Amino acid sequence: MNTKEFIESGILESYVLGLATEEEQHEVNQRVLTSSGFADYLVDFEKNINGYFLQNAVPPPPAVRELIQLRTAKTDIQKAGAHTYYDIPVDTEKKDDFLDIEVNDTYIKVHKWWRPAFIAVFVLSKIFLIAGLYYYFKASSQQEEIDKLKTEILSRQQ
Amino acid sequence: MNELERLNDNSGHQSVSKPSGPLTSLEVYDKYGAMAYGIILQIVPQPNLAQEVLVNVFSSPLLQSCNSYPFTFAVCVIKLARAKAVEAKRKLMTIGTVSAEHTNNSHESTPELIFDLAFRQGFSPEEVAEKLHISKSEVLKAFHEFFKSFPHS
Repeated sequence: MNTKEFIESGILESYVLGLATEEEQHEVNQRVLTSSGFADYLVDFEKNINGYFLQNAVPPPPAVRELIQLRTAKTDIQKAGAHTYYDIPVDTEKKDDFLDIEVNDTYIKVHKWWRPAFIAVFVLSKIFLIAGLYYYFKASSQQEEIDKLKTEILSRQQ
Repeated sequence: MNELERLNDNSGHQSVSKPSGPLTSLEVYDKYGAMAYGIILQIVPQPNLAQEVLVNVFSSPLLQSCNSYPFTFAVCVIKLARAKAVEAKRKLMTIGTVSAEHTNNSHESTPELIFDLAFRQGFSPEEVAEKLHISKSEVLKAFHEFFKSFPHS
């Protein structure tokens, strides 16, 4: 089969659409490597096929991109975990430690020790408040007592 | 060096839109996401399911190991999007009922009908040939005629 006949046979189209058999796929790959005329035709063919599918392109919702970002990041981490230390290139090794993810929720995460620390501060503040009030009222009642005693002493002297 | 990098570093045949550097899944999505979504919607018209298939396509490890040399990512995305969409469609319904509709309503084996049966309905070229009572080579030639009828973009 010469190049023209091969092009017109539609095997290339079936290859691109994922409908070709293994034998046909092998034949296409061989043609690309051996025939320069076929490789030149591929440039036009890819333009044509891209043009057809781009005509029917529909922009997906933005949420889809975020989902893909999250899933691919997760896959990358799993992949990195499967490697040994020496398999991971030095420049990518550190990059995998951090995920470049935007989170939209309003919650923050803190260390677990902040909880007892917060409870201790809360309890201490209550103790100091009660103690402050106790000593304030005690001091004011003592002041009243002193004033009362002073007036009694003055009245006896007169 | 992964398959994507190898695909891009290839210095042999220059494809139409071969990128200069390695592409991540997200970069491929930014470039071909709309095209893939359009393909999936042609096969699976339900938007929610189509979006799920789209996410599967671009988070699939097959995208990374795509060995569609010497073609561009566009070709790889077309193949992958169709394969995933057909797989989802097969889960939803039995292909047999769809084929019956098409063969009963059609009187002529036009390239459009053949393309529709093979690409959108998920039939193999052999199955299409059997249903339309034509040879497999005629089915394949119809694919060529179908794309030939569209002008270059």
